[in-house]
Amino acid sequence: MTPDTENVGVSKYTIAFGLSAALASVVNALLVIAKEKSQAVQAGMQKLTGHHWVTHCVTVLVVFGFCGWLFARANGGRGMEMSVNRLIGTLVAGVVVGGLVIVGFYLIGD
Amino acid sequence: MAHVLFGVACLVAAVWIFVDVLHATETNQVRIRRMSRAAAVFMWVAFCIGGYWYVVFYKVDKAIILKGPWPFAHSFFMETKEHLVIMLLVLVTYLPIAAANNLATNKDARRVVLWVAGMIALVALLMEGEGAIIAMGVKVALLAK
Repeated sequence: MTPDTENVGVSKYTIAFGLSAALASVVNALLVIAKEKSQAVQAGMQKLTGHHWVTHCVTVLVVFGFCGWLFARANGGRGMEMSVNRLIGTLVAGVVVGGLVIVGFYLIGD
Repeated sequence: MAHVLFGVACLVAAVWIFVDVLHATETNQVRIRRMSRAAAVFMWVAFCIGGYWYVVFYKVDKAIILKGPWPFAHSFFMETKEHLVIMLLVLVTYLPIAAANNLATNKDARRVVLWVAGMIALVALLMEGEGAIIAMGVKVALLAK
């Protein structure tokens, strides 16, 4: 049973890394298109770590970690400010758009 | 395959967290946080084992699948799986961060964790299904020989 008095809002890290996760999902999808459509991009990614997929994973995880850290330091260290509804909407939209772009690309674009 | 086992463990943990968060109190809050860390560990282990297998050994399976009657097991299912799983990894890494809020007294924090755990469960289920089709792709190709 939940208490009668409810707090609202979430920590700055929840907002920062939530936005970063949405961004990383979209970057993930864009990277798929870039490497599948450009041999030069794929070759470059292959060269960096020995396998294009490993470079892909590292890039997305670095985007997630770095942007999360950056967003948490925004507004003089208070982090990015937004409502929880907007955070959830952005996160779900990022994941859904990222997922649909990947599925759609291999379904019709490749 | 060990990565399937850890993937299923992550899926079960995500469903566990979802149900626990629906009934979040001071008493189960510690368990929710532990389970969210466990889900992240399970997924990272699955990802490392599956990723190693994919990079080192999958090319043999790929060649078999592409010569068989189900080439889409690679050209669609494996191609989407190997990229959607990165999204899943990001979500499970985020889960313990979202679960660090006071879930017992904070409705907003509970909503965030519910959405994240729900998405993890759905994407993990999708990964399991895609993995099954890829394995079937190899099997039907070998049977067709």
